[in-house]
Amino acid sequence: MPFESATQAIVALSASPALVDLSTLLGFPTLLDLPFREGYVSSIVYVSLYVSLVAVTLSTLFSVPIAVVLGLTDFPGKGFVKSVINTGMGFPSVVVGLVVLFAVSNQGPLGSLDLVFTREAMIMSQFVLATPPITAISLAAVSGVDRGVRDAARALGGTRLDVALVVIKEARYGIATAILAGFGRAISEVGSVLIVGGNITSADGISKTRTLTTAIQLEARQGQYETAMVLGAVLVVLVLAVNAVVVRFGDRGVQ
Amino acid sequence: MLRATGVSKSYGGETVLRELSLDVDAGEIVAVIGPSGVGKTTLLRLLSLSSEPDEGRVTLDGTDAWAVDETERLALRRRVGMVFQEASLFDASVARNVEYGLRVRRPWGDRLREGLRSVVGGNGTAEAVRESLDVVGLTDETDQHAESLSGGEAQRVSFARALAVDPDVLLLDEPTSDLDPRNTAVIEEAMDEARDRGIGVVVATHDMHQAERVADRVAVLLDGGISEVGPTERVFEEPRDSRTRRFIDGELVY
Repeated sequence: MPFESATQAIVALSASPALVDLSTLLGFPTLLDLPFREGYVSSIVYVSLYVSLVAVTLSTLFSVPIAVVLGLTDFPGKGFVKSVINTGMGFPSVVVGLVVLFAVSNQGPLGSLDLVFTREAMIMSQFVLATPPITAISLAAVSGVDRGVRDAARALGGTRLDVALVVIKEARYGIATAILAGFGRAISEVGSVLIVGGNITSADGISKTRTLTTAIQLEARQGQYETAMVLGAVLVVLVLAVNAVVVRFGDRGVQ
Repeated sequence: MLRATGVSKSYGGETVLRELSLDVDAGEIVAVIGPSGVGKTTLLRLLSLSSEPDEGRVTLDGTDAWAVDETERLALRRRVGMVFQEASLFDASVARNVEYGLRVRRPWGDRLREGLRSVVGGNGTAEAVRESLDVVGLTDETDQHAESLSGGEAQRVSFARALAVDPDVLLLDEPTSDLDPRNTAVIEEAMDEARDRGIGVVVATHDMHQAERVADRVAVLLDGGISEVGPTERVFEEPRDSRTRRFIDGELVY
C-alpha cells in the first residue's frame, strides 16, 4: 500500500537529523545555518516544477484551441459555456483533489492504473485546476482581437486555420498572461496536491510527491521555520522567474 | 469577369439587397455610390465571395462560387482582394503585413521553414512586397511596425497588402472616408495603377466626387437595388432614373 510507505517515509524523514549547511547546497557561504538534508530542497523544486509545468503545458494545448474556437464561433448556449468556465476558476481545489483521488482510487474508474499518491495523479488535478483560468483568460484575449483583423486575414486568402493563427498571434500577450495565471495557480496549489500526492518523500529524504507548498506546510507545522522560509523564498523566486521569461517572450513577439 | 446576377441578401429578416446585378471587367474601375447604410458593404461582401447570397449567383470567369466545393471557392476567393474602411493591420512590421497574402498561399512546409529562418535572422523582403509598397509610396517604411504608422499610412499599407498577391479583382469599401486629401490622392492613384495592371476595381464610396474622379463606370445603389449603372460621365450628366437624378442633385436625403 502506498499509504504505508508514505507514512514510513514521513516517519523516517522526521527521525533522521542529518543536517547539511545551506552553503554546501547553494555553493556559497551564508550566515544562516539551516537544517537541510542533502538534495531535499532541489528534489522538492524539481517535483514542483515537473508537476506544474507538465500540467500547464497539457492544459495550454487543451485550453487555447478551445478558447480560439469559442472566440471565433457563435452558437446557442455560448454564454452558458462561458459561465461554466468562469465558475471553474473559482472551483474549490480541495474538491478537485478529492474527485481526482477518488477517480484513481481502487473504487474509481482509473483505479487499475494504480496512480494514488503519484506525480501523474498530481498532474491530473493540476490540469483540472489550471484549465479554467487558462481557457477563460485566453478566451477574453481572443474575443478582444479586432474583428477587422480577422476579416483582413480571410480577405487576403487565409483559410480558417490561418485566421485562427492570426488571432492567436494577435492575442499572444493575453494568452501568455493566461498561461502564467494557470502556472501561478498550479505551483501555489496546496490542498489538492496534498490529497492526491500525499506529500511523500523516500527514506533518504528525496521528494517523491512533495512540492514546495506541501513541504512548507509540513515544515511550518514541525516548527522548522527556517526551512519553511527558504522553501517559500524559492517558490516566490520561481514564480517571478517564470513571469519574467514569459513577459520577455511576449515582448519579442511571435512574429 | 466578376459578376453578381440577381443576388438578394437579408439580415435578420430585413432585406438589404434585392435581385441586384453588377459586374466588373479586367482593367476598369467601377464605383458603387449610394448613401450610407444602403448595403454597399453587403454587396462587397457578396462580391468578395465571403458571404453567400440568399438568391442569385456570384461568378468569377463564369464559375459559380457557391456551386463549387470549399477548396475551389478558396481558390476563387484568392483571386479577389479586398480593402476595408479600417486598415486593420496585423500587429507586425509593414513588410510582414504586406507579405501575409503571399505567405498563406505557400505550402505549410515552406511556411514553417520561413518561420524558423525569421527567428534566426530574417528573410529579406520579397520583390512583390517592395513593388506594392512602391505603388502607395511607402517603400521606406518596410521595416516599421504597423502601430507606428499614421491612419493614412496604415490604409496605404492595407492597399499594398491587397495588391501584393496580384488579384484579378480588387474591392475597396470606403477606402478613403477616414483619410486626409493627401492620403486620399495616393489611394486614388493606386487605384489607377491597379487598373493599368489589368485588375478590375470596385470601389464603394459615398463620395460622389471621388466616383467622378476615378471611375470608368458608376453604379448607383438605392433601396437595395442598382437604380442606374453606366459610364461615369453619362450617369452624372444625364441620369436616366429619376431617383438617381435626385440622389446626385442632393435632393434624395436619407
